[in-house]
Amino acid sequence: MRGGQASGAEPLLRRGMNQRGARATPVGRGARRARWLMLFALLLVLALIGGVVLYVSPFLALMEPHQAVARGVPTPVATPPPLQSNQPINILLLGSDNDQKFQPDALLSQTMIVASVDPGRHQVTLLSLPRDLWVPIPGHGEAKIDLAYKLGGAALARATVEQRFKIPIHYYAWVGLGGLVKVIDRVGGVDVDVLHPVLDDNYPNDFNGSGYGTERVYLAAGPQHLDGRHALQYVRSRHGDLLSDFGRSVRQQQVLVALQQRTAGTNLIGLLPEVARDLNGHLKTDIDLVRLTQLAIFARGLHAGDIHQAYITQYVHDATSPDGQAILIADWPAVNAYLRQVFNGNVLP
Amino acid sequence: MMRRRLLTVSLGLSLALTACTQSGTPPLKDPGKVVPVKHFAVPGRLYAVKARRLYQFSGSAVNAVPGAISVKDPAVTLDGARLAYAQIQGQASTIVVGQSNGQGAERITSASAPEGALWAFAPAFSTDGRHLAYLTDRGKLNSNPQNLQPNDLGVWQYDIVSHQSERLVTPTSYTGGDSDPVFRPAATDQLVYTTYLYDGYPLQPVARLTWMSTQTGRTSFLSPSLARNLEPSFSPDGKFLAFIRGGPESDDLLVMPLAASFPAEPHPYPTEGATLVQAGMVSQPVWAPDGNSLAFLMLVKGSFDLYVLPISTIGGVRATGPAVAITQGSFFDADSRLAWSP
Repeated sequence: MRGGQASGAEPLLRRGMNQRGARATPVGRGARRARWLMLFALLLVLALIGGVVLYVSPFLALMEPHQAVARGVPTPVATPPPLQSNQPINILLLGSDNDQKFQPDALLSQTMIVASVDPGRHQVTLLSLPRDLWVPIPGHGEAKIDLAYKLGGAALARATVEQRFKIPIHYYAWVGLGGLVKVIDRVGGVDVDVLHPVLDDNYPNDFNGSGYGTERVYLAAGPQHLDGRHALQYVRSRHGDLLSDFGRSVRQQQVLVALQQRTAGTNLIGLLPEVARDLNGHLKTDIDLVRLTQLAIFARGLHAGDIHQAYITQYVHDATSPDGQAILIADWPAVNAYLRQVFNGNVLP
Repeated sequence: MMRRRLLTVSLGLSLALTACTQSGTPPLKDPGKVVPVKHFAVPGRLYAVKARRLYQFSGSAVNAVPGAISVKDPAVTLDGARLAYAQIQGQASTIVVGQSNGQGAERITSASAPEGALWAFAPAFSTDGRHLAYLTDRGKLNSNPQNLQPNDLGVWQYDIVSHQSERLVTPTSYTGGDSDPVFRPAATDQLVYTTYLYDGYPLQPVARLTWMSTQTGRTSFLSPSLARNLEPSFSPDGKFLAFIRGGPESDDLLVMPLAASFPAEPHPYPTEGATLVQAGMVSQPVWAPDGNSLAFLMLVKGSFDLYVLPISTIGGVRATGPAVAITQGSFFDADSRLAWSP
C-alpha cells in the first residue's frame, strides 16, 4: 500500500489512511467535503422526490385518464385547450348517492352541473342540468339524463351532454355524497344564506345502517354556517320543496359558490393533499394535477360576483315518458339559443 | 414536443409556487368557546347561542346560562324576568320557559303527537308576557317515504295562563312555512313574521315580511314579492322594524318605520327603509331595551360574531357610530335568534 504512487490509486490510498485515523491531507479534506456535498445533494433530491410523491399520491388515486367509450357510442369531441391559453374550460360535475344501497359501478348522476371556467373574462358559469330531463343517450335511445352515467360512466355522460346541449366538455369530476361532506368539513364548513326553511320528515339516512332508513331534517332559513352533514342535507333534501329538483339545483349551486368563497383565503398547497385523501373513493376525475392547480389558483381569486348561475328551468315542462316515468321535456331550440348566450358562443356546431 | 413538455413543466412549477402563497384573509377556526373582545360593555342582558349553548352578555361579563343546552332562539319578556327558548332533543324540539337565570325551566310544548315527532322553534313573548308565539309543524299529516306529506312550520300561540295553544297562521305547503314571529310592543293584537313563498316565472324562492292582526286574522305584506326580507325585530316602542334583506351578494341590515295601526288596505311595499349595515352576511338583528342600538351577528373571517351598532330614530333612522365588535372568532349559531332585555 505504501508504494501506491500510481495516479488514480492515490485517492483510494488516502481514503484508506483516513479511515485508519491517519492525519488528513488538504486534498483528502476537499474530497470528503465534496463527498458530503454530493450525499447531501442526493438526500435533498430524494427528499424532494419523496415530498412530491407524498404530495401527489393522494391525487393519483383520484385521477383517471379520459375513459374509453363503449362501442357504438360517440367519443366526446372536446379536447382541453392548452394550459397557457385563455380559452374557457368546461367541466361536467357529477354527483351521486353512493351509499350502501347502491352498486358502486352503477350509479345514477343525481346532480349534473357544467362549470365553465373562463380565464379571459375572469368568470365562472354554473349551469344545472335537471336529472329528469328526457334526452337521447348515445347508443341507448331516449332516457332520463341521469341514466347516462349509470350506463356508460363519465364518458357517456359527457357524450350525452355534448351531443344534446352542444356544450364542449373538456373534463369531468364525479363526487359521492360522503366526499362532499368530508371536503366541506375539511375547509371548516360553508356560510350560506338558506333560502327557505328546510323541513323533511323523510330524509334518507345515508350514513347509518343500511342506507334505507330516514331521519327528520330541519334547517332554519337565513344566513348561517353549515358543516358538511348539514350542507349535504341542504343540497339534497327535496321532499319539502315545491320546486323539488329545481329548488335543489339552486341550493347545490349556492353551496358550490359558498365552498369557493370559503377556500379563497386558504393555502392551497397545504390543503389539497388532505382534501384529496378525504375524497379517496368519493371522487373520480380526469383533470390532471397541473390543470387542477391552475384551476384552484384561478378559483381562489374569484369573488361572488364573478360566478354566474344558469338554469334551463324556463325552457322545460313536465311530461310522462312512454314507460310512465315523470320526466321533463325541453324546448331544444330555446335551450340551445340560451346556452349560446350563456357560453358566449363557445358551443359545438 | 420537448419544448411543449418543458413549457408545461415550467408552468406547473410556477403554478405550484403561486399556490404556496395565501390570498386574502384565511378563515378562522372555531376555538370551541366564546371569545369576547378585550373591553366590552353590554347594557342589560344580551343572549346569544353558540354550539347550541345559551350565553348571556351583561356589562363586561359573559356566562353560559345554566341548563340551557341544545337550545336555540332565546326570547325574553319586556322586563327580562322570564326566558324562553327552543330545546332540541334528537329529531324533535320543544319550547321551554323559565326564569332568566335558567331556574324553573318548564317545557310547554310536546315533542311528539299522534301525527309524529314535532318541531317547535322561535318563541316570542307578547308585550304583557301572557302569550308566546312560536313555530311548529303540529297538525301535519302522517308522512312516510311511500306517502309524503308536507310538514311546513306554522305560527301558533300559547296562552301562559290557560296553557292552551292555537294556530295563528297556516303555512303554504312545501315552502318550509313561516318563520321569525314577533309581537309588536305596545300593541295587543299585532304580529309580524316572515312568510316563505315561491313567486315569479320561473318560480323562485321569496321571503316576505307579513303583518298580522291576531284579533281578525287579517294579514298584509310589508315587503315586495320577488325579494327576500326576513328576521324582523321591533324597536322597544314598536314604531320601527329592523330586518334582513337578502341579496345575491350580501345580506344587509335595514330599519323601517311602521304605521301605528293595522292598515285597512293591503300595503304590499315597505315604507322608506334605511340600510344600516351592508357588509356581507348579517343576521338576527335585535334592539337594545333603550332603543338606541341594534345587536346582530356578522360574518367576519368565516365566523359569525356579535356586533352592536348605535343608532338613532329621531328625524329618520341612521347609525350614530360604527358597529362595535363584542366578540371575535366566536362562531355563534347564526340560525338562532338573539334576545336583549334590561
